Amino acid sequence: MTTFLNNFPILAIMTLFLGAFLTSLVGRRFAPARNVLVVLSVTLPLAMMLALVKPVLIDGEVITYWMGNWAPEAGWAIGISLEVDALSLFFALIVTVAVFVSALYSFTYMNHDDSLVNYYTLFLMLSGSVLGLVLSGDLFNIFVMIEIMTFTSVALTAFRNRQEGALEGAFKYLAVGSLGSTCVLLGVAMIYSQLHTLNLAQIAALLPEQAENPVLLAAFAFLLVGFGSKAFLFPFHPLAADAHAVAPASISLMISGVLTKCGVYGIIRLCYVLYQNIDLPFVQYLVTGLGTVSMFVCVTMAFNQHNFKRLLAFHSISQVGYVLAAVGLGTALGLTSGLYHAMNHTIFKGLLFLTAGAVQHQTGSLNLDELGGLGKKMPQTCLLFLIGAASISGLPPFNGFASKWMIYQAAFEKGAETGNFFYVAVCLIALITSVLTLASFIKVAQSVFFGQYNEKFGQVREVPLAMRLPMWILAALCVAAGLLPELVQRYLLTPAVNAVFGVANYIDQAMGAGYAAAHGIVETALPELAEIGCWDPVSWLVLLFCFTCAIAIVALLAAPNDLSRVPVSSAREDGEALDAKYEPFFSGEESVYSQVGGSDLFWGFKHNWRRYFRLMHDWHSGVVNDYTLYAAVAMAAVLAACVILL
Amino acid sequence: MTTLLWNLFYLLVFPGLLFSVAVGLLLAGLDRKLVARMQRRVGPPLLQPWYDFLKCCGKETIIPRHAKRAVYLAAPVVGFVALLTVSLFLPVMGFTAFSTVADLVVILYLLTLTSAAMIVGAAASGSPFAGVGLSREMVSILSYELPLVLVILAVGRAAGESAGGVTFSLAVIGEYQAANGPLITHWSLIPAALAMLFVIPCEIGMHPFDVAEAETEICEGTLAEYSGPPLALFRLTHAVKMYTMTALFCALFLGGLTTGVPALDAVILVALCAVLTFVTMSLPHAACARFKVEQVFKFYWTVVAALAALSLILVWLGL
Repeated sequence: MTTFLNNFPILAIMTLFLGAFLTSLVGRRFAPARNVLVVLSVTLPLAMMLALVKPVLIDGEVITYWMGNWAPEAGWAIGISLEVDALSLFFALIVTVAVFVSALYSFTYMNHDDSLVNYYTLFLMLSGSVLGLVLSGDLFNIFVMIEIMTFTSVALTAFRNRQEGALEGAFKYLAVGSLGSTCVLLGVAMIYSQLHTLNLAQIAALLPEQAENPVLLAAFAFLLVGFGSKAFLFPFHPLAADAHAVAPASISLMISGVLTKCGVYGIIRLCYVLYQNIDLPFVQYLVTGLGTVSMFVCVTMAFNQHNFKRLLAFHSISQVGYVLAAVGLGTALGLTSGLYHAMNHTIFKGLLFLTAGAVQHQTGSLNLDELGGLGKKMPQTCLLFLIGAASISGLPPFNGFASKWMIYQAAFEKGAETGNFFYVAVCLIALITSVLTLASFIKVAQSVFFGQYNEKFGQVREVPLAMRLPMWILAALCVAAGLLPELVQRYLLTPAVNAVFGVANYIDQAMGAGYAAAHGIVETALPELAEIGCWDPVSWLVLLFCFTCAIAIVALLAAPNDLSRVPVSSAREDGEALDAKYEPFFSGEESVYSQVGGSDLFWGFKHNWRRYFRLMHDWHSGVVNDYTLYAAVAMAAVLAACVILL
Repeated sequence: MTTLLWNLFYLLVFPGLLFSVAVGLLLAGLDRKLVARMQRRVGPPLLQPWYDFLKCCGKETIIPRHAKRAVYLAAPVVGFVALLTVSLFLPVMGFTAFSTVADLVVILYLLTLTSAAMIVGAAASGSPFAGVGLSREMVSILSYELPLVLVILAVGRAAGESAGGVTFSLAVIGEYQAANGPLITHWSLIPAALAMLFVIPCEIGMHPFDVAEAETEICEGTLAEYSGPPLALFRLTHAVKMYTMTALFCALFLGGLTTGVPALDAVILVALCAVLTFVTMSLPHAACARFKVEQVFKFYWTVVAALAALSLILVWLGL
């Protein structure tokens, strides 16, 4: 049985790529056949990954698959391999779930667009490439998958090319994104020139022997910047904003929920498994520092956006910043919390992008300055948005709270252990960022779903069930992951963390037993993991429930007046005369359209920070030359720092 | 069964619903009386907040035409429930009903949830005055959040140094104070205690930091459209917050003092809360005119944050 399961990784990747080609062959004529194909090609990989949960996550096996059965000869890995350990499978599950939800949403969401066969072909190729990336055991294959991923996502960004800014966003993404890919290629080439192998396991075994080799240090810098650019970390973040603002919402979900996770996955593999240098203070400063800067700069950028999806785009980088700041701590708790937040981010940010897509689908606008009052027209979307917003702001009892709480704890413990104030600052910035996140989601809630409705959008209705269903799936996951952190930790996070720290096992499974020991990689004791125990949401929920009941009873007893007498629908719709009692208070003046939203909120804060915001405004010029320059500077800086300081 | 009954008792009577509501309304009445006396007025009777609450409960609930009904009605309940949950974690001097390893972070978030519920309720009412009010409320949250976090980090470091670096647990902080005397007697934490004293009125939204509710400018801002029981619940939340925040101060800086008898402890806590109410709320209320919103932000991110940061650095250096 296990031998058959060994084929699942390659089959899952093949299903997606095969689905892509078959879609373009068949789907041009028969739309129903195309839809069936798409559903099949996204469901099968999900099922296969779920089938692997038992052996890999629970039993702790590592599944290795050698293409064409080219197993290693005399300690040299010649063939291409797929190597699935718990970390890979953890990310593969994130990828396949996100792909599944996104495809489900696309069917109705994309019905205003034409040439859909191109959309689905590109979508499936994108999905196949990200799945290939996280399952691959070969460094060059990772590069190939990154290339496919970048180019398909660029094409999908520009898919609605009649929309203003679509081509511009795609072009920026293309130009700076290729720079990132080039970095990865350079890093791969340098490693190959020194170690003469591309197999991840063999690299991991050989690298520590040559830790002082400057070429390999340069390769580290290139790979770090390359993967960082795929996660849109600072200073690559402006690209994400331009791309997300114009991409279809289902693709935004993919870019934010899946592509950025590939960057994070790459960085974890790089620092923990390949170079095993996460224990060096310099690497910790670098990764945590990058994460912290991204987290803070992007949240302040998000504060000032007028476009719903641009705002979400900046938040997405900010949350990836949280993940990276936690991963860079190098402790077991740090890695656990980072992975937890990575998973949660895919769920809640996917949900938020889909609600943005729903708003765009029904009104045709994403402008926070003109929308408003949609909560009455789209009640379910409003509720879903509130769930997503509460999750990302880290309000209990949703999933964002649990993972953010762990991140603070991890950062502060690290600071207390090392006596280093840097990590306390990280914890502080993370807490402040969380409040700023809350503030900007309150801005969205007020500007889009609450307040007064802008009559220019005519009659807006709730989105169809086919679009609500994917959103409800994600919302349910938000609640589940927030209420059951112990289960998540036991079955998903701890196996992944153990896999990351068990480098020797990863090497031996691919290269044969004893290979790691022969190269001086010893089996390290698995780190003792702190239980999340302190955050016990279920008993809390009971508590909150008891209270709510108590309050409801008190409120009912104390309120003899009948609530049902209050008119629900608007008087104007019923054709009745307006009753001034139910109009907004205007000091006795006649009621007018007076939505307070978008740019008009939080003046006191923006006023005090005006110099900072002016600087940021000048800095995010929107010129692709500038962005390329920032990328080049970042590359040079990381390269210099790595070669000199490591 | 007995545990369940005890838990119900904790929830509904002490230190939960009944106790915190009673103390909260008492403190609110006390504040009004004290301010009135300082302004040479007679002032309302001490139980006036009770009367206001009960009368408000009997009034009609008007739901404005632009309001999102469900959110508009749910927001006060959520906010109040979140705040009551905070009161369960706060030690009444020596006695704690529920304790978790990191209750400080939980409390921090539940306080934010209370304010967020108020903001969302205001947004759902669809009034432009509420729109301005919620914008200001958010800015004041941003203002006090930085000093509050700094204070908690400083206290957590000071109390947790012996217990493995740092703590976010009120129980550990209480034990440390029982062994080493209240934290306010540690000179390096006095700036943090001062900062916390400033945080209290802004968190509660008391005059002169009541930018979000400024009656004379924006017609009570966030509450502009509310009436009847929901309004009563918001008022009650406001009063209970007076108890929660002053009790939090006691837990952080005046903890560890206990007589061993919960009833006596409760009386001592109420007395301390009353003193803190006078110092942090009534005095500034009577003495100052309302700040502008950008002044509030500037004040908290410069003066108050600097005080708290000073403590954090001193504590970190082991002083």
